[in-house]
Amino acid sequence: MPDAPDTDRLELPQGTLDLLILKALSLESQHGWAISERIRQVSSAALQIPQGSLYPALHRLERRGWIKARWGESDNNRRAKFYELTRTGRHQLDAETDAWRRLTLAVRLVLDMR
Amino acid sequence: MIGADDISDWMSDLRYRVRALFRRAELERELDDELRFHLEHETEKNLRAGVNTDEAQRRARVAFGGLDRIQEDARDARGVRAFETVMRDLRYAIRGLRAHPGFTLAVVATLALGIGANTAMFGIVDRLMFRPLAYLRDPSSVNRVYTAYDFRGKPEVDHHIEYTRYLDLSNGTKSFSQTAAVYSGSIAVGTGDDVHETTVAVVSASYFDFFDAHPVIGRFFTHQEDSLPVGTPVVVLGHSMWLTRFGGRADAIGQQLQVGAIRATIVGVAPEGFTGPDRSEPATAFVPITAYAYPVDSTYYSAYHWQWAEMLVRRKPGVSLSTASAEASNAYVRSWNRERSTEVNVPDVSQARPHIILAPMQLSRGPDAHQDAKVVLWICGVAAVVLLIACANVANLLLGRALRRRREIAVRLALGVTRRRLMAQLLVESVLLALCGGIAGILLGEAGSGLLRALFVPKADAIGLVADRRTLLFAALVAILAGVLTGLAPALHSAGEDLVTALKSGVREGTYQRSRTRAALLIAQGALSVFLLVGAALFVRSLHNVTALRLGYDVDPVLLVGRVMRSTRLSDSEKQLLGARLLEEVKSVPGVEHAALTQSVPFWDTESNYFSVPGVDSVQRLGSFTRHVASRDYFGTMGTRILRGRGFDASDRPGAPLVVVVSEGMAGTLWPGREAIGQCMKISADTMPCTTVVGIAENIKQESLTDDGQRLQYYLPFEQMAPARGSLLVRTRGNAQDIAETVRRRLQPLMPGTSFITVTPMRDIVDPELASWRMGATMFTLFGALALVLAAIGLYSVIAYDVAQRTHELGLRVALGAHARDVLRIVMAEGMRYALAGIAIGGAIALAAGRWVQPLLFGETARDPLVFASVATILVLVAVAACAIPALRAARVDPSIALRTE
Repeated sequence: MPDAPDTDRLELPQGTLDLLILKALSLESQHGWAISERIRQVSSAALQIPQGSLYPALHRLERRGWIKARWGESDNNRRAKFYELTRTGRHQLDAETDAWRRLTLAVRLVLDMR
Repeated sequence: MIGADDISDWMSDLRYRVRALFRRAELERELDDELRFHLEHETEKNLRAGVNTDEAQRRARVAFGGLDRIQEDARDARGVRAFETVMRDLRYAIRGLRAHPGFTLAVVATLALGIGANTAMFGIVDRLMFRPLAYLRDPSSVNRVYTAYDFRGKPEVDHHIEYTRYLDLSNGTKSFSQTAAVYSGSIAVGTGDDVHETTVAVVSASYFDFFDAHPVIGRFFTHQEDSLPVGTPVVVLGHSMWLTRFGGRADAIGQQLQVGAIRATIVGVAPEGFTGPDRSEPATAFVPITAYAYPVDSTYYSAYHWQWAEMLVRRKPGVSLSTASAEASNAYVRSWNRERSTEVNVPDVSQARPHIILAPMQLSRGPDAHQDAKVVLWICGVAAVVLLIACANVANLLLGRALRRRREIAVRLALGVTRRRLMAQLLVESVLLALCGGIAGILLGEAGSGLLRALFVPKADAIGLVADRRTLLFAALVAILAGVLTGLAPALHSAGEDLVTALKSGVREGTYQRSRTRAALLIAQGALSVFLLVGAALFVRSLHNVTALRLGYDVDPVLLVGRVMRSTRLSDSEKQLLGARLLEEVKSVPGVEHAALTQSVPFWDTESNYFSVPGVDSVQRLGSFTRHVASRDYFGTMGTRILRGRGFDASDRPGAPLVVVVSEGMAGTLWPGREAIGQCMKISADTMPCTTVVGIAENIKQESLTDDGQRLQYYLPFEQMAPARGSLLVRTRGNAQDIAETVRRRLQPLMPGTSFITVTPMRDIVDPELASWRMGATMFTLFGALALVLAAIGLYSVIAYDVAQRTHELGLRVALGAHARDVLRIVMAEGMRYALAGIAIGGAIALAAGRWVQPLLFGETARDPLVFASVATILVLVAVAACAIPALRAARVDPSIALRTE
């Protein structure tokens, strides 16, 4: 799959990566690569984040107790680190999604101002 | 709001960080595995897209981003990064210090001396001045009451008040939620062979309400037991007395204990550390003040002539110090007028202007604090100066080390270590050194604190420094402060270093850099040492002067023998008879030269009574006259010289003409320019027959060593006055201390019932008066010597370092024809410059500080040129000695070797 042209790529606002990770994990537990693939596919490759920067974020979320990690077997039978949402993480996802919606709504209202 | 989620978040965070800290290797492996898995997966995806293996791997790496960077960020995300960095710096520092044991030892020892001195002094000052009594509730609202008034136009402040006054002030005020009367005195406890004098706290029942203390067993005494006019004879044991005398047994409750004149029932035991009002002399027992006072003076609660108690108050919440003292002053004025209506010789309120001062509970922070407290504060300052010198020294050593490591540091900077990291590393190193110094210092302070306690608070509880949390905390703070202080100079120096110069620098290019910081530190050390040594010399000379002072009597050969009458009621004539028998008996003790009876003892009692002199108006206005009633051998016993006329002799019997001996000062005051002998004094009343002056005695020091003729003395013969009360003075051949116990054993059998003999060498009475100078002399000398040693080490290390740096240059000079003598001169001149600058600055500081030190000195001016000259000489000599070794080494430089060194 070819990458989207550079001009269509978006810089990720500060702190949104956490939200995206939480969202990606809200359906099922996944390993790091799968998370990055999922974010890329769902955003039509518009959100292109350096794949590596996912990992510090994952570890930070793990430290905070929003996600937890366990080692398991991947689809091609290799050892992989799977992450899943904790109960706190789910609360956090709800709260941040809500905050994000309100923010974008407010910004849109301001931008649509005539 | 803190919910369950927050707490579980926090716990999981902590668990994670702990794991990150202790299972670092495991986490690293997991990180590697995880990242490799990702890259392999991405590569496979690219392969599926149809590119070759190399290209697939390359794209995967590009999409991933910089691997090193990601790994670093992931480590940061664990949240223990700062800690790991510090640990790494610590390990690095330990390795570095172990590689140079000599340097490490010098630094640790220097800091240990500085920190130890301060820790030990803090232990003393904290106890003397700051720490509230154990168990005291809300110490900030508790005050000690001082009465203040003008006497003969001079302001007087006293913390002793009459019990009657305590009642007046308690009843006449609303500002206080609690008031208590306390007295702490040496009282005979026990009976028979078991009797000894110990400190007993005589307190009102309200005293216990000031504290959150609970008796170990039994109870404290109640307000009903402390009732007027005479309280119930009960006693609360101090914890230590309970352990030593009653073995800590519960059946002590209910037993009888003789305390002074009262036979008291034990009702409780105070908890450990409950010391009574004076921490420096912990009480062994507590008795109701009303039970103690009544047998001593049955008018204690209505009359105003016995000024003995101390008063503590607790202000009600919200009542300010000024409001409370204003109200208490009003109550004091009313009380003053009440006293004036019942007693004679009380001046008018408008003249005396009586008022109340409320001050912190610690006497040493009150308005009539003893000189000792000021000296202690000075010594604290001195200890701080020693620490400064130690820090300067260590900073200098560290700086020297940093200069030696210039190239190493420059290389690391060039390799990309940030200056911040570098500074952090140097700071970690110096804080580590300071903590080692701190631990060594606490041990040193512990060893030294025994000496300090003996000097400052001889009777206080012997709690070690190490066992004390406040002292430990203080030592830790001082150590960290010292670490930062000493680390700062080298750290800043290294961080500011110009890379290129440093990298190029070597011994060979012929120049060497003098560090300005090092020179300043060196001069500061010298200056501070001079300051301390001047102080030491001033105090030593003061002590010498005060010791050599003629008191008007001899101290070392004189013993004071007191009798404590208990449980027997002797008539006055029986008491006189007992006195005479004791006098006869003591004269037969081998080693006793003279013995006499007296009614008053210098520093302990000051007595006076009314007298008039025909032809002199209002005698009492001319000065303070002190009456001594003394038996025939008194002057011989005390060693007080009779200057003219005669002392007392066998002819001064009852019925014979009345005679008096007056002091030289008194003769000059009453009969200036005339012969005092033969003059007439009317003692007690104007209607009495003449008492004729028969002799002039030398002046004596009556109340303090510094009083200069303020007190005038006259002596009446014991035989003619025939008082019932009296102590024995004994003059021995040699030191009185040696036969004190023999005297006690010989006299004790003569005492009736449970009465007993106390024997006190005169030296023990006079010595406390010398304490402040002895303290000053000892501590200034000790710390001054310490400072000098530190400064000498500092000078030596800097000169030695410079010589090492200049080897090449000096070798060149020798090669060009310089003599060893010239080299010696060059090096010595450098050291001398530092020393002379230090002497000049230190001398100026000492001169400036002289104004504040002056009141603490005795017979010595704070600007004594002899003192300054000798200190300067000492410093020059020490500087010469410190520079001599490196200078001689420099003079022996072999040019052929020196020029080849790099």
